[in-house]
Amino acid sequence: MAEPYLVVENLTKVYERGQVVALKDLSFTVEKGEFLVVIGLSGSGKSTLLRCINRLIEPTAGRIFLSGVELTKLSPRAMRHMRRKIGMIFQQFNLIKRATVMTNVLTGRLGYNPTLLTLLGRFPKRDRELALKNLERVGLSEKAYVRADELSGGQQQRVGIARALMQEPELLLADEPVSALDPATSHSVMQYLEQMNKEDGVTVLASLHFLSLARRYGTRIIALKDGQLVFDGPPEAIDEVKFKEIYGEEAEEVEVR
Amino acid sequence: MTNYPDGIVKDPPKWLTPQGLLDIVTPVLQGMGQRLGVVFLDLLAVGVVWILVSYTVNWHSRGEISYTLAPWWLFGLVTVELAALWESFGHSLGFKVARRELVGPGGAPPTPGQRVRYFLGWHFTVLPLVGLVFQRPWHERWAGLSPQPISLEGRIPPPWWRTSVGIYVAVFLVVGLAAATSTTVDEESLNRLFTQAWRTVKFWRALFSPDQSIILPSIRDLLVTIFMAVMATSFAVVVAVPLSFLAARNLMRGPLGRLIYTTLRGALSIMRSIEPIVWAIIFLVWVTARRAPFAGVLALWVHSIADLTKLYAERLESIDPGLIEAITATGANRLQVLRYAVVPQIINPYISFTLYRWDINIRMATVVGVVGGGGIGQRLFFYLKNLAWQQAGTVMILIVILVWAIDYLSARLRAKLA
Amino acid sequence: MIWGYVAYGVMYLLNKYWWTVPLERFYSTLSLPSWGWPLTILGTLEMAVLCRNLGRSLGLRAFGLEVWGAEGGPPRVGQRLIRLLAWHFSGLPFGVGVLVSPQRAWHDLVAGTVLQPSPPQAARRRAWLSQWGLMALLLLGLTIWLGWLIVHIDIGVLFRRGEEGLRIWREMLRPDFRYFAVPDPVFELRNLPYSILDMAVVTLFMALLATVLGALVAFPLSFLGARNIMGFSPVGWGVYFLMRGFFNVFRSIDTMLWAVIFAVWVLWGRPLAGVLALTVHTVAALGKLYSEQVEGIDPGPVEAVVAAGGSRLEVIRYAVLPQIAPAYWAFTMYRWDINVRMSTVIALVGGGGIGDLLFYYKNEGDWAKVGAVVMVIVAIVWAMDYISGRLRERIT
Repeated sequence: MAEPYLVVENLTKVYERGQVVALKDLSFTVEKGEFLVVIGLSGSGKSTLLRCINRLIEPTAGRIFLSGVELTKLSPRAMRHMRRKIGMIFQQFNLIKRATVMTNVLTGRLGYNPTLLTLLGRFPKRDRELALKNLERVGLSEKAYVRADELSGGQQQRVGIARALMQEPELLLADEPVSALDPATSHSVMQYLEQMNKEDGVTVLASLHFLSLARRYGTRIIALKDGQLVFDGPPEAIDEVKFKEIYGEEAEEVEVR
Repeated sequence: MTNYPDGIVKDPPKWLTPQGLLDIVTPVLQGMGQRLGVVFLDLLAVGVVWILVSYTVNWHSRGEISYTLAPWWLFGLVTVELAALWESFGHSLGFKVARRELVGPGGAPPTPGQRVRYFLGWHFTVLPLVGLVFQRPWHERWAGLSPQPISLEGRIPPPWWRTSVGIYVAVFLVVGLAAATSTTVDEESLNRLFTQAWRTVKFWRALFSPDQSIILPSIRDLLVTIFMAVMATSFAVVVAVPLSFLAARNLMRGPLGRLIYTTLRGALSIMRSIEPIVWAIIFLVWVTARRAPFAGVLALWVHSIADLTKLYAERLESIDPGLIEAITATGANRLQVLRYAVVPQIINPYISFTLYRWDINIRMATVVGVVGGGGIGQRLFFYLKNLAWQQAGTVMILIVILVWAIDYLSARLRAKLA
Repeated sequence: MIWGYVAYGVMYLLNKYWWTVPLERFYSTLSLPSWGWPLTILGTLEMAVLCRNLGRSLGLRAFGLEVWGAEGGPPRVGQRLIRLLAWHFSGLPFGVGVLVSPQRAWHDLVAGTVLQPSPPQAARRRAWLSQWGLMALLLLGLTIWLGWLIVHIDIGVLFRRGEEGLRIWREMLRPDFRYFAVPDPVFELRNLPYSILDMAVVTLFMALLATVLGALVAFPLSFLGARNIMGFSPVGWGVYFLMRGFFNVFRSIDTMLWAVIFAVWVLWGRPLAGVLALTVHTVAALGKLYSEQVEGIDPGPVEAVVAAGGSRLEVIRYAVLPQIAPAYWAFTMYRWDINVRMSTVIALVGGGGIGDLLFYYKNEGDWAKVGAVVMVIVAIVWAMDYISGRLRERIT
């Protein structure tokens, strides 16, 4: 059997001099082309998990392999190199608010271009064309030279997706990509992620708040509770009992249409 | 250690590891610090009031500025006793500031007996400081009282002016004002205030009939003042921008970073607390009075560096870490992160702070001129010294107009940048 | 105006370098030769008109305008040139062409162009090194060059007289604290038998008195200077403008200048002069800050009190005061901090306080004692800064 695409082994993350344990001995694998959804309450460690994978947060213990390469062993320089293939989108979009959409999208190519040129704000023509193409793909080619803070939330998240697309990623980490959006916009953003997953063959790891969205888009779901894995399986396998286990006794499922 | 049978090898005792030791020592130090803080604040509060009273009494009885009303041991004794009484029988300022109150076991309000015991025990544990080493000092155990966070359940909180803070502020203001008025206001000057107003009439009249012959030379001096401010500000920016990165808490991590941060912040705050005028007199001696405007520029420069670095660094401390995360996640290196995640967030605030500082520097440049720092201030002071009221009034009008114009301009520009 | 400044700067530099004017007295060099002024004005106009017509000038940018062809789209080169020429006949003679038909000036008519607001978000790349960027750089460079010459910046002198500077610093860093608690005998002559500590306390008292008095006066005045309280009748508006004018004028005269006036009025060197100067400036500064705070309140509670039948005073008591109290305290603390700073140096202009010692020792050239006084000042200002910062944090 071939090595799985992404392997997480005994991942542990402890914050602040042993005060808070965010992830406890977490292990799972992801196959190439999966749409894996991570669910769990706020503070259950979803964000930490995603950030440990591209080492925005250094794990305390444990190992992570991406297509056979041990990420946790890489030097900062090699890790930067790897990050080019790992796209990421964020709950708060994290765009440069005062810059144009174009600049924001182009930042996705920073890892590919020489530092000196990018510091002057220069990008190769090919990248500019690619940026326009990607903006067209998320339906924002009209807004290429508009300032990012003039866009609505859903549009900003689509800029975030375009930025991730610029990296031509193999793996996409989506940290609660729709929590700051209303239900209708949520679906449109999720559909772009689904499209990336299906058409470009990008493996997606998305943390989501709503189970209904997870069921609708995920091919597999893992659930975290207090930093531990409490569920791993197909979306259909989450029933009432499992749900209560993940979200606590008082929770009730909300449908997002 | 997993291959050995159970019980053969154990973890080292907690207090042998640095982490464990820290875990044990930290709460002790915290408790001690808090109790010391409370006692220190109460002593300070009582002592300050006593000193203020001394000033008042001394001025009125002996006509001198002095804080010695009683021998120092009497002062110490009274302060300590009053603080102890306040802590035991009232709700003292220190406790109030620490948001604590004394309660018996189970949150019961303390009885008079408990309070008396607390008061007596206080002398034996708090005064020699030994008792504070323990998690629960002796006097607290003996009295059965302990400071707990103030709970608001089931009672109406009094308005703040009826708490110990309010009462203390009121007492402080009354005594302080009494002391302040007695030492700073003397009869002779007060008399003159009401009888000598005519001395300034000429000056006010000049505001309406300016001396037109000096307007042109004054405008030249105004230009010098403006350029002094411009030069001081732009040189200060060159120094302050790099310094601000070293003075931002969130960027300076690790022991070395902490050290740099702390020393830099300390040095800056010393530089800031010396008024530009004082800097100007130092520089005037250094570069000689022949180059007065240059001395003024240097004085403003030093003060601006300190001020701008502080403003810049505070802005850096509040940047959104999410954007840094996002740019890092694309595989960018440190310089690229700086260029695309940090710079876009700080550039406009930096420009806006710089304009603000320029605005202030123009005001200060007029004042620095007064000590001989060149520009319009020097001219104004010259006229004032020679009692040339009409000319002084004329220059004053020009200064007011300039300050207004710059104020307006910089406010407009800053509004545009925001 | 921008180009006027540039032209002036260029003329000044030309004047300085080619037809050197003696530099004995620095202000004499700020003027231009007699033929320089007309040339400056002409140069200004020509450059301005070139810039306006061949690109998008700063002025147009500031007002958000753009020159467009009448058919829409950017003007052709020919149109630009015609506009340039025509401008001399319509704009130059005191702007007749603009005055006569302000909607569309003559030169626009002739060239077939229109001046219109630029579209808010044109879908085009932003020209990075546009005129604006170049212009800003040019202006900055010119300003610094001019400033360098006008202010007579001479960095070399810092090193040439480095010995002297080092001596001052060395002596100041070995402060002489002998007279910290004991009065210095030299002051017997000046009838000022006080030690550094005594003067430090007097300084603090001055600041305290000025702040409290200033806040007490500014408090009622701030309501008179607030639009949402006074804007109910012509009289109210009158009072409002009067108050605002008073705040603005009195605020822009610096405390130090007030001190000179009061020092003449009362007695030179008496603390009362300093207190009064600080008070006047405090009233104006706090009045402005306070009244802006009153104007910035949430109108909801006001509506509620008015709906319940409250009078104007009741509105202030129950709807306005609770909203502004924390900010008032914070501003007052902040002002107390500033007043402490000012009171340490106000003695220079006859205001009394610890600065008296500072300037006396400085004139004596006794830098060790100056160092001691400066250190005390730093300690005071530092402590007050810290206390006021902490208190403000707690209040808000």
